[in-house]
Amino acid sequence: MSDIEKTKENLIQKFPALAEKTQITRETRIWTEIPFELFLPVFNYLLTDLHFNVLCAITGMDEVTQFSVIYHLAKENQLVVSLKVILASKEKPFINTITDTFPAADIYERELVDLLGIHVNGLKEGNRYPLPDNWPQGEYPLRKGWTADRLKKKEGGAPNA
Amino acid sequence: MGQAIYNILVFPGLFFLILFGWAAEFIDRKIYARGQKRVGPPWYQPVADFIKLAAKEDIVPEEASATSFKLMPLIAMASAVTAFFYIPLWTTEALFSFYGDIIVVMYLLTIPTLTFFLGGWYSRSLYSTIGAMRTLTQLFAYEVPLFVVILASALLANTWSLSEITKFYALHPHLWIFNLLGFGIGIIALLGKLEKGPFDIPEAETEIVAGSFTEYGGRLLAFFRLTLDIEVIVGASLLAAVFLPFGLNLTPAIGFVIYIIKVLFIVILLAVLRTILARFRIDQMLDFCWRYLAPLAFIQILINLLVKGLLLR
Amino acid sequence: MPKKVRIPVGPQHPALKEPVSFSLELSGERILEATIRLGYNHRGIEKACEERSYIQDLYLLERICGICSHSHSTCFVQAVEEIAKLEVPKRGLYIRTLIAELERVHSHLLWLGVAGHEIGFDTLLMFTWNDREIVMDLLAETTGNRVNYGINSIGGVRRDITDEQIKKIMKAMDTLEERTKYYIKIATEETTIIQRLSGVGVLSHDDAVKLGAVGPTARASSVDRDVRRDDPYAAYGEIKFKVITDNHNDVYGRTIVRVLELMESYNIIRQLLQNIPAGPIAVKAPRKIPAGEALSRYEAPRGEDVHYVKSNGTENPERVKVRAPTLANIQAVAHMLKDRYLADMPIIIAAIDPCFSCTDRAITVKDLGQKSEGLMQWGDLRKYSIEWYKGKGIDFSNLKKI
Repeated sequence: MSDIEKTKENLIQKFPALAEKTQITRETRIWTEIPFELFLPVFNYLLTDLHFNVLCAITGMDEVTQFSVIYHLAKENQLVVSLKVILASKEKPFINTITDTFPAADIYERELVDLLGIHVNGLKEGNRYPLPDNWPQGEYPLRKGWTADRLKKKEGGAPNA
Repeated sequence: MGQAIYNILVFPGLFFLILFGWAAEFIDRKIYARGQKRVGPPWYQPVADFIKLAAKEDIVPEEASATSFKLMPLIAMASAVTAFFYIPLWTTEALFSFYGDIIVVMYLLTIPTLTFFLGGWYSRSLYSTIGAMRTLTQLFAYEVPLFVVILASALLANTWSLSEITKFYALHPHLWIFNLLGFGIGIIALLGKLEKGPFDIPEAETEIVAGSFTEYGGRLLAFFRLTLDIEVIVGASLLAAVFLPFGLNLTPAIGFVIYIIKVLFIVILLAVLRTILARFRIDQMLDFCWRYLAPLAFIQILINLLVKGLLLR
Repeated sequence: MPKKVRIPVGPQHPALKEPVSFSLELSGERILEATIRLGYNHRGIEKACEERSYIQDLYLLERICGICSHSHSTCFVQAVEEIAKLEVPKRGLYIRTLIAELERVHSHLLWLGVAGHEIGFDTLLMFTWNDREIVMDLLAETTGNRVNYGINSIGGVRRDITDEQIKKIMKAMDTLEERTKYYIKIATEETTIIQRLSGVGVLSHDDAVKLGAVGPTARASSVDRDVRRDDPYAAYGEIKFKVITDNHNDVYGRTIVRVLELMESYNIIRQLLQNIPAGPIAVKAPRKIPAGEALSRYEAPRGEDVHYVKSNGTENPERVKVRAPTLANIQAVAHMLKDRYLADMPIIIAAIDPCFSCTDRAITVKDLGQKSEGLMQWGDLRKYSIEWYKGKGIDFSNLKKI
């Protein structure tokens, strides 16, 4: 049994709920999908027991009916598990910060805040990224259906107009 | 009177200095460029730069003290030019000379550096302030070795006048060889004085934009740059007079050519040094000057004392 | 001088080749703290990708960066090919890898020059950039462009390579190898360079791992990671090469890693050219990509580049996410700047080979630029900037004239 299959096996053994959602797309990529409640246990299990200790990226997604966040974690830079977390609320999406484990996640999480309006609990105060300081509140450009026209309609207009 | 005014303003005074300064800047830039596999500027580039800058609008930062800000380039230039008159060029006689002029020249040459500091300080910009602090810090590092080696040479000649020094070395032509160490130290200190690489720390472009000169532009900057050009000639002439006393008793025409060659030799040496070396950090520069340059300068004094005691009795 | 000063470095500053804002708190010459504000190059590329077809995205993504443009387009194209299950012909992969390595050579030579400039050694800058022209000419000849090569297409590459070009590249590699040996000699023997580089910007092995550093920055702290070897893509699986690491942990180590990587790249390019198989260079790709998602990793000259692509069965992707190497390294910079001299700031920032254009992508403001009412007139822009600076305590509105 190859490494990746072992990983899948371990994951399913520990969290049977993941059995249907976990799949291998090629020899180094494994994908899984979990609801928000399961995030911490699965994340910690991947980190400490299976040693996926490199954070490649965090992708936030607006899937119209729900928000999801994908954590791309790599193991010794070989296998990559993409852990997709379905957020609990569409209206007020939030996640918990992982900057305690990965200080580098800071910038990825700020991106979620700015571009998708996903609140990150526990994220330290700091400069925003990547939008300008005077970007109007409540405008999240990476959400589906958002267009730049919205800025003009708003009172005060776009930050640059 | 007319002769003196001609000497001060035209030859070998201001006009000659400016032309020679531009020529030296061109040679310096050309060598720097050729050393970097670049083509380099055409011969009229320094003049063109000056005209272009002089044609630009002068801007004084609102927070700056306007009078001081505008006065600094003029003071810098005046003091550099004045120093030049006390340095013997191609004869053993300077334009003006008195007993103790060596000290006056050294101090006059310090004034441009102080104006860089004050100009930067008065512009109130953060980059200028840091540049100004660096200018001053650097001044304390190179000034002592430079003073000491020039005094060492004066010690051997037993005089406090630059003209007397050259006269002495013209009489004892072989003695310059003992001052070679001093010449090397002088060149390095001159690099610091002129803020040229590897000692261009006060105007390190990648750190503090242009240091003291960050807020300067237009005519004021043009005058600062002209001062630096003139300072190269004055500094090189000083080193040439003190450490390279050749061809001083020949006919003026040949003496003049030899003088030009000596100054250009020093200019080329400076250009080569800045081509092949990376910029120091201010702490490394201080360290280098105090740990190596200053002790070596004192060794030069020792050498000269020994020579004086053993050979010149 | 007051005890503590806060100086802005950027968004526009001679030490920075691209706009980014560092705010440094200084005590004399010493940096107490550094904070970074990114986002000045934010162009909305991720959002724009969702509104364009895959082929358009390919060219759009190539323009994320002017230096590692091939990295981004290859990374994206690999993800799309994985979703569409396209089998790229061997020759296509080899050409892709060849361009990737040529790009690494030109990027590292560029970096060496920039590093020289940052420590006030412009001679090195002029020398390396002169040699870089050799690679640029090779790239122009093989792809048609000096930068933004446009050689990738979904399913392969767009241009074949001729025997003549192969001979020419082989010959150029010899010249470059000789020049690089000279740079290695300079970097390891020139006193002023060593003085300025060693002990500067220290990033320990543990910190590098913790802060998620990638590429040469990480490898100089003996973090043995290289996607080319760990997760082989394109033709790297069939090539023998060493992953260069160094244990100096400082800017000097990063220099060593980069110059030695140059030597390794020449070696890779030679192997590629000797073993390049005959055959087609591309397969035809469908216009509509079936639904699916893929994560693609690529070792760009600056470190690991990550692209995530999600398709929905139409001509346009559902989501494109780009994680450029600089974004991963930027946390390390703030850490490295702490407690260093101001004079070391440029080289510390430069030592990660930052590419802020890569880092700042995402949202679109394209509509604003196209419609005239959204455009700012010059006067408005001036007024806006004066107001903005007033807010920061600097007043430009009534400058005195002499």
